[in-house]
Parts: sequence; C-alpha cells; structure tokens
Amino acid sequence: MNAKPDARSILLVEDNETIRNAFAVLLRESGYVVEQAASGADALARAAEMDPDLILMDLGLPDMNGLEVTRRLKKDPATARARVIAITGRALETAYEACIAAGCSAYVAKPVDTRLLLRIIEEELGKARLEKHPKPPQT
Amino acid sequence: MIELQLFLRGDHEEAVRLREVLGREGFVLKRSLDRGEGAEIRLLEGADAPHVEDEEKARQIEELEVALRELRNLDVAKSQFLANVSHELRTPLTAIVTYGEVLRDGLLGELNDRQGEAVQSVISSSRQLLGMIEEILTYARTGARAIDLEASNFPIGGVIESAHEMSASLIRKKGLNWETTVEVELPSASADRDKILHVLTNLVGNAIEFTPAHGHIRVSARRWETDPAWLCIAVEDSGIGIDAQHHEMIFREFAQVDSSRSRQHHGTGLGLAIARNFIQLHGGQIGVDSELGHGSRFFFTLPSVEVNGLSEEP
Repeated sequence: MNAKPDARSILLVEDNETIRNAFAVLLRESGYVVEQAASGADALARAAEMDPDLILMDLGLPDMNGLEVTRRLKKDPATARARVIAITGRALETAYEACIAAGCSAYVAKPVDTRLLLRIIEEELGKARLEKHPKPPQT
Repeated sequence: MIELQLFLRGDHEEAVRLREVLGREGFVLKRSLDRGEGAEIRLLEGADAPHVEDEEKARQIEELEVALRELRNLDVAKSQFLANVSHELRTPLTAIVTYGEVLRDGLLGELNDRQGEAVQSVISSSRQLLGMIEEILTYARTGARAIDLEASNFPIGGVIESAHEMSASLIRKKGLNWETTVEVELPSASADRDKILHVLTNLVGNAIEFTPAHGHIRVSARRWETDPAWLCIAVEDSGIGIDAQHHEMIFREFAQVDSSRSRQHHGTGLGLAIARNFIQLHGGQIGVDSELGHGSRFFFTLPSVEVNGLSEEP
C-alpha cells in the first residue's frame, strides 16, 4: 500500500536494523509515512527535521535511554507536538509509570503484537486530531 | 583448628562437593542454608580463628580461596552467558514474528486459507519460543544477582485479579472453574509487586496446564498460620498432582517431573526456580502440597506491612 497524500507521519526509533526494517514494513504497508532513527541523537535530529505526528520509541537505545530522548523531545517546542509510544522490554507496571512521567502517551511491551500496536497508533493519532481541532463546547 | 563458614543454596552442587572435600581436610564447617545468596564460603578471622602457624595449612587455605573466587566468577559468567545468548536470540525471533504478522494480516497481499494457517503456525511457534527465552533471561538475571526488589505496599487481591485477567482466555478455553478467596481485612503485602505478579502468573499457568478440562483452580490469600504477620498465598488445582518424591525437585532449575523425550508438558523447567528465587529474595517461603492424582496446592509467604513495622495508609 502506498501512503496517501494526507498520510500521517511516524518516526521509528530502534537501534536494531532487522527489527527496525520489520516495523518499517508493517507501518508503511499500513499506510503511514515512515522515517527511521537508529539512536537517541539521531532521533532528536530527525524529529526536529520532519515534525512527525507520532514517534515509536524503543527504550533500549545505545547512546541514551529512550525515556531521556522523550523528555528532551517534549521539552523542545519544535518536537513537543508528537505523541510518543514507548516500546518496552517487559510488561511491568513500574515501567508504565516511568513512561508516562517522561511524556509518553502510551506503551507497548515486547514482543509487540502488531495488531495491538496498530490499534494504539490509531488511537493516539485520533487523540492528536481531537487536540488539534477541539470540538466546540456543547451548550 | 581453622573455621570456615559455608553459605550455600541447598542445591548448589559445586558448593556441596566443596563442602565434602573441605570436611575431609579436617576443617570445621558451618553452613547456612536457603537464603538465596548462592554459594559463598568465608574464612572466619579475628578472635574466632586461631593463629595459623603451620605454613602448609596457610598455603592450603590460600589455594582454597583462589578456587572459591574462580567458582564464584564462573557462576556469574554462566549467568552472564545465558543472558547474552537469550538477548541475541530474541532479536531475529522478533523479526520473524513481526514479518509473520504482516503476512497474516494481508499487508503484503491476501493469503489463501492454507497459507494463512501456515503463517499462523510460524507466529505461534515463534511466540512460544520467545516466551521460553524470556524465562531463561529472567532466570539468568536472578542468577547474576542483577535483580533488585522495588518494594511497595499493595493489596494482594489486586495482584490475584491481574494474574486472573492475564490467564482468562486460557481458563475459558479449558472450561476451568476459577475461584478467588481473600481473607477479610487482610493487611497489604510489602513486596515487589511485579515480581509477585510474575510468581503468581507462573503458578496459575502451571495449574492451568496440569489441570484437565472442566477442573477447578482456587486462589486464596490469608494470614499465614505459622506467623500471622506474614501473608500466605495459595494456588490450588484439581489437576494431575505431583508425587511426594518430586516435591523438592520441581523447584530446581531445568527440572521437570517427566524428563523423557516423549513428555507431554513442555517449557524450560525454569518457571518454579524463578518463582523460588523471587520469593526467597523477599525472605519468604515457597512450597507445595500434592499427591499424585489428587491435585496440587502451591503456596508462598510474603511479608505484610505488619512485618515491616509500617501501618497501612488510610
């Protein structure tokens, strides 16, 4: 499937090339515009360039923790808009709290269930749309 | 006489062998068991240890200390190796699962029924393998002492509910009857919630696996009879049960009751070893009451807020 003209953009941050390629195929074939970053520094630079709608953030990056990258993205007005979904090693509730505190909107535990991931991405993009065009207050 | 103090887990073979050797050499040995520290031997010094005049003996002691250091390093290296291998195995498997799901969901073109079934088998088997690798990784981490407890106070009923939710589809599939009983006004547990959820999920998973369709699983939490300041959590099933001679063995790593190649139940044989490690890290106990053919009752104890001298927040 090719991305439609109004396709939403996703920055995929994952250091392992094999896994990054697999997720890139999944996201592209699902109709998103996908950019990739292999490290924290790379992610910060790419996010500033492309202004993505959403960022998929693996937490185990070689140069800095994915949560630290998220905190920096959220601090910078140029990149703060993007919703961040963390991909964590284990499904721990403590990990979830840390993700939210760092500024992520959601998290998905490895091994990632792709249907679940796509659903969460759609939910997050839906919320982003609502924030952009808030419903008129009801009278 | 030189006094050596030996700390070891009851099942640590190298340490047990070492103890036998040392015993033959005429050392007085003290042994403390089952605190989860692994094998460690300490030479008592100071007032307790008489001055060593015999040079031959001093040399022997030095050799022993070197051997012990090597033993300890080997133990850590083994766990590190397991952790590295598991991590390396996970990456390609994750790619297999992801590409499999992309194919299954028709993102690269619709599949016919037979293709879809084949791809689904690839995904299921890979996920099963990933689960086992995750278990080995967790075990290796506890072996390398790389696990810290993050203690908090929480009601145990919520953890039982989470374990139930995580297994709900399997329970439904087998038509099992599930029952939870939590004693009224039970004090909160004071423990690492994620670790306890892991232990409980493992015990529930075993109960599901070893209980025939339409049987029952009962999970209960109450004050421990032996010491009411501790909680006792039990998972009881109407499954195939375990012969008394195997009750200790099943908590050892890589052990399964039926180790024959034709065995019906699969897995790494690490689940209960991990559970035991986690509970021992909390200072608790874990055990089983069971008889072949009459179901099993696994139980473990946990410190409550009362043990730690804290009163529960309102």
